Amino acid sequence: MELTDADLIARVLADDDQHAFGELVRRHQSSVRGLLRQLTRTDVSLADDLAQETFIRAYKNIRSFRGEARFSTWLYRIAYNCFREDTRKRKELVGVDEALLQSEYDPQTVDPGLRHDLMHALNLLPLHERTAVVLCCQSGLSHDEAARVLDIPLGTVKTNVLRGREKLKQTLAAWGPN
Amino acid sequence: MKAMIDDETLDRQLREAAPYIDDDGFTTRVLANLPAAQRQPRWLRAMILLGLAILGSGIAYVLSGGFVRESVIQLSNFPIWLLLVFAFGCGLVVGAFAVIFAIRKTPDVRDLTRLEF
Repeated sequence: MELTDADLIARVLADDDQHAFGELVRRHQSSVRGLLRQLTRTDVSLADDLAQETFIRAYKNIRSFRGEARFSTWLYRIAYNCFREDTRKRKELVGVDEALLQSEYDPQTVDPGLRHDLMHALNLLPLHERTAVVLCCQSGLSHDEAARVLDIPLGTVKTNVLRGREKLKQTLAAWGPN
Repeated sequence: MKAMIDDETLDRQLREAAPYIDDDGFTTRVLANLPAAQRQPRWLRAMILLGLAILGSGIAYVLSGGFVRESVIQLSNFPIWLLLVFAFGCGLVVGAFAVIFAIRKTPDVRDLTRLEF
């Protein structure tokens, strides 16, 4: 019988069982790396570095996981915090801001014929809307869980998801066949 | 005007568009960078606790100056029903503590009972 996340966490807590933690990493690496790739706009190398930092922090702080939320939700929260800290550091170092990053993704520069239109359309959204859409629509978190991950009010999450969805639909409709 | 897809279709397409990312050595790299385990294995901790308990009991017995021995002799003079009640009471107290700590360490049971600790 396959062990649940709770069983594996219990083993890590009881014996610092790194094999059990490895199994948790194997189970959740794809979703965490996927989320970070969306947040970093498909910068695979940066996303993987942040994902590694996420799991190391999770291991160090696993005693603070009280089982009140899903383990994946807790990991998303750590991943989002890693991303925010990294963005803050980059801003301080080179003065890059979200508006500048946004300008690199002008809709006019994206080839509508590309196979991954949806992911490109997603990358065009502002960070707060993109994050909310990825968490709620792609990763399957509830609005409440996403609000906890992002540490913002529930109403703000709902608004960001609503606006993000609308913009995605409009972009996709504009790229669609005439 | 071009038609727009509905929310359900958009969400489904988003989920399908997110590829499964192969591990490709990622887990190995994470494990290689974890801090070394610092805690002793469970059996070693159990042995240390047991050893300390025996040592503490021995010291307490020696320092009591015969008080413990006399107490045990007096206790053996008690009626059998009183000894049974005493043993049962001790069992209840220890069992209650065991249940409380088991619930505290098991999130599923804790959520089920909705107890706050």
